[in-house]
Amino acid sequence: MSARVLILSGYGLNCEEETQFAFQHVGLEGRIIHINDLIEAPNTLDDYQILAVPGGFSYGDDTGSGNAFAQKMKLALWDALKAFVSRDTLTIGICNGCQILSNLGLVPGFDGAYGERDVAVTYNQSARYQCRWVDVAASGSKSPWLAGIERMHIPVAHGEGRFMMSYETLERLQSGGQVAFSYIQPDGRAAGGAFPYNPNGAVADIAGITDHSGRVLALMPHPERGMFTWQRDDYHEMKDAAQRNGESLPEETDGLALFRNAARYFND
Amino acid sequence: MPYRIEVLAHEEDGRALRIEKLLASRGNPAHVRVADVYTSESKAAADKRFAESLANPVTQKTGSLPRDFDWALEIGFLPGVTDNIGHTAQEILDLCSGDSETSAVYSSRLYLIQGDLSREDVRVLAGELSNKLIQRASIKSREDFEKDGGMDAVIPKVHLDNKGAVADDVDLNISDDLLELVGKSGIKNLDGSRRGPLGLSLTYLKAIQAYFKKEGRAPKDIELEMLAQSWSEHCKHTIFASPIDDVRDGLYRHYIKRATKEIREIRGESDICVSVFSDNAGGIIFDENYLITDKVETHNSPSALDPFGGAITGIVGVNRDCIGFGQGAKPVINRYGFCFADPRTNPGYSRDAKGNDPLLSPATIMNGVVAGVEAGGNCSGIPTPQGFVYFDDRFAGKPLVFVGTIGLIPREVNGKPGHIKKARPGDKIVVAGGRVGADGIHGATFSSVALDEGSPATAVQIGDPITQKKMSDAIVKEIRDFGWYSAITDNGAGGLSSSIGEMAEQSGGFHVELETVPLKYPGMAPWEIWISESQERMTMAVPPENTDKLIAFFAKRGVEATVIGTYTDSGRAYITWHGETILDLDMDFLHDGVPETPLRTTFTRGGDSEPSLDEPKDYAQALLDLMGRPNLCSKEFIATQYDHEVQGGAVLKPLQGPGRVYAETSITKPVLSSPKGVVLSQGLFPRYSDIDTGAMAAAGLDMAVRNAVAAGVDFAQLALLDNFCWCSSDEPERLGQLKRAVETIYEMAVKYETPFISGKDSMFNDFKGYDASGKPVKVSAPPTLLVSSIGVIPDVVRSISLAPKAAGDSLYLLGVTKDELGASEYYDMLGVTGQNVPETDAHQNLRLYKLYARASRDRLISSALALGYGGLGAALAKKAIAGGFGLDVDLSGFGLRADKMLFSESTGRILVSVAPQNKKAFEKNFSGFEECHYIGSVSYSENLFIRDVLKVDLKALDEAYKAPLRNY
Repeated sequence: MSARVLILSGYGLNCEEETQFAFQHVGLEGRIIHINDLIEAPNTLDDYQILAVPGGFSYGDDTGSGNAFAQKMKLALWDALKAFVSRDTLTIGICNGCQILSNLGLVPGFDGAYGERDVAVTYNQSARYQCRWVDVAASGSKSPWLAGIERMHIPVAHGEGRFMMSYETLERLQSGGQVAFSYIQPDGRAAGGAFPYNPNGAVADIAGITDHSGRVLALMPHPERGMFTWQRDDYHEMKDAAQRNGESLPEETDGLALFRNAARYFND
Repeated sequence: MPYRIEVLAHEEDGRALRIEKLLASRGNPAHVRVADVYTSESKAAADKRFAESLANPVTQKTGSLPRDFDWALEIGFLPGVTDNIGHTAQEILDLCSGDSETSAVYSSRLYLIQGDLSREDVRVLAGELSNKLIQRASIKSREDFEKDGGMDAVIPKVHLDNKGAVADDVDLNISDDLLELVGKSGIKNLDGSRRGPLGLSLTYLKAIQAYFKKEGRAPKDIELEMLAQSWSEHCKHTIFASPIDDVRDGLYRHYIKRATKEIREIRGESDICVSVFSDNAGGIIFDENYLITDKVETHNSPSALDPFGGAITGIVGVNRDCIGFGQGAKPVINRYGFCFADPRTNPGYSRDAKGNDPLLSPATIMNGVVAGVEAGGNCSGIPTPQGFVYFDDRFAGKPLVFVGTIGLIPREVNGKPGHIKKARPGDKIVVAGGRVGADGIHGATFSSVALDEGSPATAVQIGDPITQKKMSDAIVKEIRDFGWYSAITDNGAGGLSSSIGEMAEQSGGFHVELETVPLKYPGMAPWEIWISESQERMTMAVPPENTDKLIAFFAKRGVEATVIGTYTDSGRAYITWHGETILDLDMDFLHDGVPETPLRTTFTRGGDSEPSLDEPKDYAQALLDLMGRPNLCSKEFIATQYDHEVQGGAVLKPLQGPGRVYAETSITKPVLSSPKGVVLSQGLFPRYSDIDTGAMAAAGLDMAVRNAVAAGVDFAQLALLDNFCWCSSDEPERLGQLKRAVETIYEMAVKYETPFISGKDSMFNDFKGYDASGKPVKVSAPPTLLVSSIGVIPDVVRSISLAPKAAGDSLYLLGVTKDELGASEYYDMLGVTGQNVPETDAHQNLRLYKLYARASRDRLISSALALGYGGLGAALAKKAIAGGFGLDVDLSGFGLRADKMLFSESTGRILVSVAPQNKKAFEKNFSGFEECHYIGSVSYSENLFIRDVLKVDLKALDEAYKAPLRNY
């Protein structure tokens, strides 16, 4: 039986449909469930193996991106959530979902201590929303989400995507292999905090982190917007080159690997 | 006692950095910190948990503020202004306290500034960070701050002195002069003040006077207000509807609507139109399963007063036009178009002679409008891939702010056509979404008049995208498919008066119990409730057996919905207020009682004689100067702020090629599993109106079509929208210009077989006031037609971007280049208007577009760019920048002087590059077409080289193109 995916919606989350499409494309059964319906029946989580908190603008980013939605989940769903991530499940938070998981303290969750807010995902250094394609390198090989992924070319779109944390937290993340993705330059060198490679000024170029187990992933870039070649910013260059060289254009591209990994984790 | 929570960022904060940069740029280096402030009268707000839930401990702290600053500047909202952050904080407070009835929370922002600034410096900064129309700014030196024990806790609560408000009788048996005053300044209050413009002419007031004479009673205020907004230019489009010269049926019916009708007849079986002009948006066929809808609105007047609020309200408003199409379409793409004065200038206009009531500066307007559409679109999760910005100093009085939304709706919903709806007698009137406040009173009548000293500030609203998003998701993603309502429409201009009034045309009447409408605060008079334009509301017609479950479902989605009355077939518009009748109007009079006002026009062609100018001495410099002009330079700063990737469907994006050239055509897949894409573009040439509005309109329509064609649209599946933004439309000469423009686009649309599916007009884009020296001025926007195109590309693999792909490819110029520099960018740069404005030959163009469509279908074209502002010179430059390739070009064969060849803006032209292996097939495709010109090739060099004319380094071009607006 393939794993079932619960994709949250409501209060300004807005990427639930394309996130569902991504999971379905890799053969998983994805269902969109409104946060209020989940709060009414928290046990619903028991029927699922994967939880996706998609991108969006929950509560309009008011009081800090992801904060209000996280407060709502914490007050109404905390026990169910904690039970869910403590099982052998996968959780992903993309963009606004990443901000929500960070505010909930589901990441970094050092040593399984979920609930502590150790990282902030806050205003871009430019104080401007940034929608652009970036390159990220994967690290933290223990995460099932990242199996076989070295780097990805995918888009970011956020006004508050800057990971900030104390030096101690950073060191702990790094030494524990919990940094999942870092912004890099197209030639593979570290972004070194330089715009536009690092689009928000995140400390240590961090684009995504995991919990201690690697099963909970929170990332700012949008893999679901970069899973097919036609979605890429260089699609027209790629398809022209393929036509010129008489080659066929691959249908899939980098972002899909994350979703395939999720499917594989439960199928293998 | 109010509780005040100050959340201070103790780590580096991007918002503070931005202000530091601004202050440093004017020689005021300072250290700035930002605190988010929440104020509430609720006891629950004193709970520590509430403060903790508002602060992220990693970067923020609450508690006492540090004292190492010189100035404290706090900006908060005035009473009644939408405070989205405050609303969210209140929801958190409700959650924390487990009480759903806590009092309001108000947000404000506190800046602690350390630096050598005078009070005046801080005051100037406050002016830049706030808008006094909607916000308060308080400034304290550290001494005052210490003395007062901090900033003051301000509760901006609305207090309305309207206890026991009733509907007043209005005496219309008065002199014509006084009647006119009622029309212009509004109904008189007891204290002698007036309630704000009704925008009713004397002719209209006479008709109303006669109606009530017949009824044998005086009208109530609410009746006059309803008639005023129903008959407003904004809602009735009286200028387009009135007989004009010998055109008895008016411009709209005779030209626009007729064009579509004729095209549909010619098309027959292959007609793509499904719903035109009858709904909130127009709808065409996307594929066998879906329709796509489109609507473009303007929000010019509100954006002039409050750029952020005006623009965000505009974009979320046009989203509702989409949600209110048929049974409810899902918004899938937003688009925008802005006309501003150059933000690097400020003419210093004022509403009063002394300069005490200045207009907002062009930079303030631009920044606010850009941010408003950003917040509205991004928060709503709707991609914004396509738009444009145009600059002309005459937009300093009123900017033009165009906002559009494309929707997707199944052709069949619950076994019935998705685009059909009808309110039936007996259906309940249900309003869902935000509550009603005094914001946006008189918006409809206000936008139909020119801005002057008396323009009401209450006309300003601020959209609340999250309230709308909750409502929108509940409707288009869930409730629509339950089949619980018979009809739905949005509340925009005119509020309930307009939405219910229009829906009741289908049933034949309504009865509203006005006291049941949920309000933001008590004390509103009935007429205010009825015409308030408070945002984020939809009105539905719901069979009685479905109301309970509908309301319960909305509640589960955090949306308030309320029954406020019943649709009837009584033939009457009928409102009661606590049982008492306060409005009772004949439906026919309400909708068709507008007196006909025949219009007369004159027309004079404008411009100067065609100048005889010397060739530029340095062509390279001329091209660099041209590329740096605001109309040509990159608007990347907007494209990157607008999320164009959300929903995952962006194919052809706003920044194209490795060189990231800002493009005005986009392709998006609204259905991820389908190969089809929606092609969008726009065209607008305001300056051509200085010579001929016909040429202006033709060029805009051609550009909108040609851009879409160049990107690979299926020519048979392409439709248009028209937005007229005119000025002084009570002057025969301006009306003559209008008539000429409308005649022209009728002819062009029919020739191209591209039907109009929706349109909107804004007829008084004028500012009357004073210039910087106190002299009276009238600043009128140039007569402007925006044409927007929407089409379908059968497979996005055929889409064509503007960037050349490889060195060695051949360059072709398709179409005719003539000596047509009249009102061009190049002439404007030289300070002349000229006479030879581009004339559009639709017949010739159509031949090209059909041949082109075949070549693009066969994938023979590697890149394409439709020529626009700046002509061939600008197009070559953009291509070189986009691809990062040099170009090697020879234009000697054209027989035109190089400056005319390079900078003429002749329409109907496309510049393409073709790969070597497709060269033969490409030329064969165009064999027999005499206007396919080989002009050179994509080169391995780093230069744009035009033989005997210029050689310019790519880096210099890139810099000239990207530098001007980079820091906005």
